[in-house]
Amino acid sequence: MTALLRYQAALLLRSHRWLPPLLLYGAFMAVGVQSGQPVLDSFGYASAALLPVAAWLVRVCVTNEPAAARDCAAAAAGPWRVHLAAVLTALAASTVLAVAATAVVAGIGDPRSADHQVDVPLWPATAEGLIAAVACALLGTGVGALCNRPLLRSTAWAVPSTVLAAFLVLLVGVSPANAAVTGLVSGSRDGTVDVSVLPLAGAAVLTAGAVAVACALSSRRR
Amino acid sequence: MHGRARYRERMRLRGVGRRYGRRGPWVLRDIDLEVPAGALLRVEGGNGSGKSTLLRLLAGLDAPTAGRITGRPRTAYVPERFPAALPFTALGYLTDIGRVHGLSRSAAAHGARVWLERFGAGEHARTPLSELSKGTSQKVAVAQGLLAAPGLLVLDEAWTGLDRASRIVLDGAVAERVAAGSTVVFVDHDPRRLAGKPDAVHRVESARLAAVGQPVADSGPRVRIEVEGPPGARLPEALPGEPDVAPAAPIGLRLTVAAAHSDALLRALLAARPAWHIRTVTPAHPVRPHANDRGEPGR
Repeated sequence: MTALLRYQAALLLRSHRWLPPLLLYGAFMAVGVQSGQPVLDSFGYASAALLPVAAWLVRVCVTNEPAAARDCAAAAAGPWRVHLAAVLTALAASTVLAVAATAVVAGIGDPRSADHQVDVPLWPATAEGLIAAVACALLGTGVGALCNRPLLRSTAWAVPSTVLAAFLVLLVGVSPANAAVTGLVSGSRDGTVDVSVLPLAGAAVLTAGAVAVACALSSRRR
Repeated sequence: MHGRARYRERMRLRGVGRRYGRRGPWVLRDIDLEVPAGALLRVEGGNGSGKSTLLRLLAGLDAPTAGRITGRPRTAYVPERFPAALPFTALGYLTDIGRVHGLSRSAAAHGARVWLERFGAGEHARTPLSELSKGTSQKVAVAQGLLAAPGLLVLDEAWTGLDRASRIVLDGAVAERVAAGSTVVFVDHDPRRLAGKPDAVHRVESARLAAVGQPVADSGPRVRIEVEGPPGARLPEALPGEPDVAPAAPIGLRLTVAAAHSDALLRALLAARPAWHIRTVTPAHPVRPHANDRGEPGR
């Protein structure tokens, strides 16, 4: 598995196909996060924007190899391991983005409530922001795993489904991503920080399930 | 852990079927097949008959819709076309694939260089895959299949696109794999490819599999090998050629095997841990003395 992860990571880095999703996230951040804005609001925005980007990174990683090359690796290691390595590589890339975005927001945000009246403790706020960002990275990875091959093989289905699913996961009340982002935004209103790993745990469980389905189908559907 | 995959559970397909989609027609159905170690198997069939699907099932790329495949050893697969739009050099890609097969970095890089040299593509080791000609790309695909010495090598028209010299190198490499106790399964449009060498030829027709002709190796002359094992040692499993086994006087065992498999069998016995001692090697009587010892004398 280590060798596969190394291979997939090298494939991602050298293909430069990480560049468009990275630029999209950079644009999201440039538009939505500015110096001196309430830090919890910015964490919420940075996390929510990461979800579709993480889904896009999964698409990049699972479609990075031509089918013939994928078959060669799959014969050696098993199709599900090849698929898992691709998805985990994408998740690692989104986690790097989550950490980087959290650091930027913590650095330039104003550690006060939305009306700038109540002080917000920066470290706990950063912890809450990081948890939300990683939860969104995880759920975006899950969306990407379910909306690309082997489940949806044509681009015409995969891309619109990814966009739709990303919005649903952000907006539907029961989603851990929605809970994490809403927690940050409402916390910003009253200047309170509530560090809970519940959204992260929920996101991890849902994503593990989604990725397991995709990996299990990798040898059943081309 | 890499190297020879000799003593293993025998690979078997039982009632295997494959179709794409829940309502799709069966591409393959009710396939029962034994895939012995040290065997060379040819698969034939018309265009779209399901040959490639069978190879994909054997290589583990596709899971069967029905039935079971058990005992697959570490496998390599060589596709017919390798349009490798990958951001690696030939050497870099082969090293990575070697590591996926479980080789160390140095062993993988060494194997990659050796195989590129053997196919006359040594000077392209540092060339990006995207800049290689079609033929050289195919050499990389074939090297990828050979460099980690897999227990099962699946070749889907791997010769197509290779130049004449490389086809001969690949023929030789296939013979080496079989002699080392690996199984090689191949499809090729050239009916003379490795003519006379396959242990069995199977034809895919109307989604079923049928044996074609007599296996050449098992019907030829046989060789008797008397061996002595270390005290208490059991004969290794899945020996090449599936020898008939009988006790020898005064001690040891007498193995009778088709002559075509005798080299591979001797090599396997000598390489066993602990090693077996070879006492004598003699031609066997034309009539098999112990054909029923294992209940299944070849085919």
